Amino acid sequence: MIPFLTYPLALIAMAALPALAAIYILRNRFRRRQVSSLLLWRFHVQSKSGGAKVHRLQLPLLFFLELLVLALLVTAAAGPQWKLPQSARPLIVVLDDSFSMRAVSDGVSAQTRARKFLEILFRQPPPSTQLILAGTEPRSLGSIAKNSRDVDELLSQWKCWSPNAAIDSAITLAAELGKQQANILVLTDHKPDDEKISSPRLEWRAFGLPLDNFAIVNASRTAFGNQDRCLLEIANFSGDAHSTKLLVQTGTNAQESLISLSAHESQRLVFNIPSGAPSLRATLDSDSLAEDNEIQLLPPIRKRVRVQVALTNENLSEFANRTLDATGLRAAISENPELVIRETDAIANSNSWNLCWSTFAATNAFTGPFIVDNSHPLADGIALEGVIWAATQTTNSPGDIPVILAGNVPLLSTREDVFGRRHLTLNFKPELSTLQNTPDWPILFWNILSWRISELPGLKESNARLGEEVNLKTTGEVVTVIQPDGTKTVFPKTGGELALETPMPGLYSVVTGATTNQFSVNALAADESDLSACASGQWGKWSEDTERRLEETSAVWIFGLLALALLTTHLYLVASAKGGS
Amino acid sequence: MDTAIRQALRDGEKLGLRYALQIPQVAASGWTGSRSGRRAGSSIDFQDYREYQPGDDLRFIDWGIYARTDRLTVKLFREEVIPHLDLILDGSRSMNLSDTAKANAVAQLAALLATCAANAQCTQAVWLSGEGFQRLPNDTLTPSAWDKLELESKRTPEQSFEILPPKFRRLGIRVFISDLLWPGNPIPILRRLRDGAAALFVIQLLSREDVTPPEHGNLRVVDSETGDESEIYIDSGIAKQYAENLAQLQQSWSDACRQCGAHMTTLIAEDLETSISELEAIQLLTPA
Repeated sequence: MIPFLTYPLALIAMAALPALAAIYILRNRFRRRQVSSLLLWRFHVQSKSGGAKVHRLQLPLLFFLELLVLALLVTAAAGPQWKLPQSARPLIVVLDDSFSMRAVSDGVSAQTRARKFLEILFRQPPPSTQLILAGTEPRSLGSIAKNSRDVDELLSQWKCWSPNAAIDSAITLAAELGKQQANILVLTDHKPDDEKISSPRLEWRAFGLPLDNFAIVNASRTAFGNQDRCLLEIANFSGDAHSTKLLVQTGTNAQESLISLSAHESQRLVFNIPSGAPSLRATLDSDSLAEDNEIQLLPPIRKRVRVQVALTNENLSEFANRTLDATGLRAAISENPELVIRETDAIANSNSWNLCWSTFAATNAFTGPFIVDNSHPLADGIALEGVIWAATQTTNSPGDIPVILAGNVPLLSTREDVFGRRHLTLNFKPELSTLQNTPDWPILFWNILSWRISELPGLKESNARLGEEVNLKTTGEVVTVIQPDGTKTVFPKTGGELALETPMPGLYSVVTGATTNQFSVNALAADESDLSACASGQWGKWSEDTERRLEETSAVWIFGLLALALLTTHLYLVASAKGGS
Repeated sequence: MDTAIRQALRDGEKLGLRYALQIPQVAASGWTGSRSGRRAGSSIDFQDYREYQPGDDLRFIDWGIYARTDRLTVKLFREEVIPHLDLILDGSRSMNLSDTAKANAVAQLAALLATCAANAQCTQAVWLSGEGFQRLPNDTLTPSAWDKLELESKRTPEQSFEILPPKFRRLGIRVFISDLLWPGNPIPILRRLRDGAAALFVIQLLSREDVTPPEHGNLRVVDSETGDESEIYIDSGIAKQYAENLAQLQQSWSDACRQCGAHMTTLIAEDLETSISELEAIQLLTPA
């Protein structure tokens, strides 16, 4: 290996070598000195009375060390680079993890074709390889693979279940991991956005095919009174008009219909089913991408709040009951309440929230302007335009967070105690107010109950899109999540809210203590279902220039280390006076 | 004579005014002079009586004793003598080492001792080695009047002794000034110097370059007397060995001096004026 120099001009500093030699030669030439007698020099005296005699220049070891150090430093300054074997060149492979890679043509998916390409690539001694999954977010697959077996192990994590592929972000991550020196290989099913690769270090290979595909791109099931409203959107991602059969099953009921759509057209189907109906399954005829032909919708979660109205004022109590009933979020029973409304700030049991409705005698009627914290869930949708709000002239209690204020008078404030329970204070006297006659009044109570529901334990939704996070409120029990493929994930005892990942479509089970809940995840991604833009080919290539630059690795550190070692030796010799100087 | 040497003689003369030669008792013998000698003499200091013997000076007969005892008795008075200093200078070239203060120091030291001798009522003679030992012209006068103090001999003092030894006065004080840097056994020359002397002082006068070896590096050393050359690489080991050789040489001279009853000290030419105390320490000088 012959190093080449990045900065050959630095070799000018080699002029220091003859300079050093000159210094030593001048320094080491024999100085003539008259002494009283050679008597005292007899230990080392060589007789020179025989006349002139050519003697070898006596230079100390330190001279040669310094000469070598100078040469090494000058060489290091010139930026030497070794030409390393090609196998030492790092490679980072970006894998498209979106489910469009599962689209099948002639029984072979794009993912399979990409894996075969990788097998061919790794037939040669495998380079230092790193894999990055380009899913919703780029994710590095573990450590650097040194051989094909390592690569195979890493490739087992390549499932192609993401609803999209953040390839650009993955390329950026790869460039950072490779310190701008690694070759990057992108394996996907579509061509690059501008069909042009400008980076000489990037090679883009696509293994997709433009295929016709019918897909369910939207599906939802929401509570609609006593019924569930369902929405299905079916799209035809082909260049011609096609039709497909839609089969909707709800328990034992099945309904089949023919869906005919022109090119790139979509159709929405909205229908109601009884709220007690079990899960709804909708399937389309099989086509190139099976993953988007089937969805499953579970009944929506209907949570109610057990509210206890403990107001001593009967009129006020009746008024509160009517308002709560109007929200539709109040549970039928009020035992073991989750929210207690009373005139004082007291806690009924360990879980209940408290709404303190204070109605003191001395009140002021405020007409505004009202200051509303619109970011607070209690203030969602509240306008308070033209409202007269009668309230006690008071100031905010320490620790309370005001949500609605009239000047410095808190009208609605909240506080959380050490057990996580909320204490709401409503400073409101209806006799002198007009708030209860405006839409803001039911909105306020709906917000109160809705906020309470959001803090109740359990799942917040029963249907989710692939890749979305499903939130689970826990109360400290161990949570076990069983994925559709049977994989179990156990979360230790943690209070608060868990965000469950949905890496694949299907039915998920969440076991919390003795309770088991389910939620359904459906592969709904129109961009991934649209296979018309898929393509095969190669864009960009690691240029020869790039390869050469990548193969040449800086050898400055070698020269630096050698110089350092020699300097240490020099220092030792000088310290121990063995250098002969 | 070199003007620098003459100036050094004047400096030494001036320096010596503050000191006097310390005369040992054994040296109180010599020509009739102003100092009391060991023997009876013609001074006015009464010493003893003894019976008259033929030849005694009749002026010293104590007639009172003769009247009382009818015996001739002479009075003995303390002899008055003039002690003598023999200065023996190494006249070899090594004492005139170039770029050192060695030659000036020789002259200054000799002048100092001669002045101290004068302060102690001593006579003096200055012997310079060369082709034998020769007395300096005008050496009995004050040092500034001396002449031909030239240190250019290629011979060592020992060789000079073989050619023409000096004629020292008996029971005189002898001071030998040399760098002692020649090979050989020091005892023979010390015995010859010590023979018949009341006291012998050996002053080794070295330059600082003699004591301190040169700095590290290549060196071509040239013997100032023989002109022989040697090339040598000086390092800390060599410097250490040089110092050991010098110490060994000094030790051999010191042992020889002790063996011969001489006193030895070493002075550095460049520090001469501050080293007078060394001469006091060996009881050669005393404050005047």
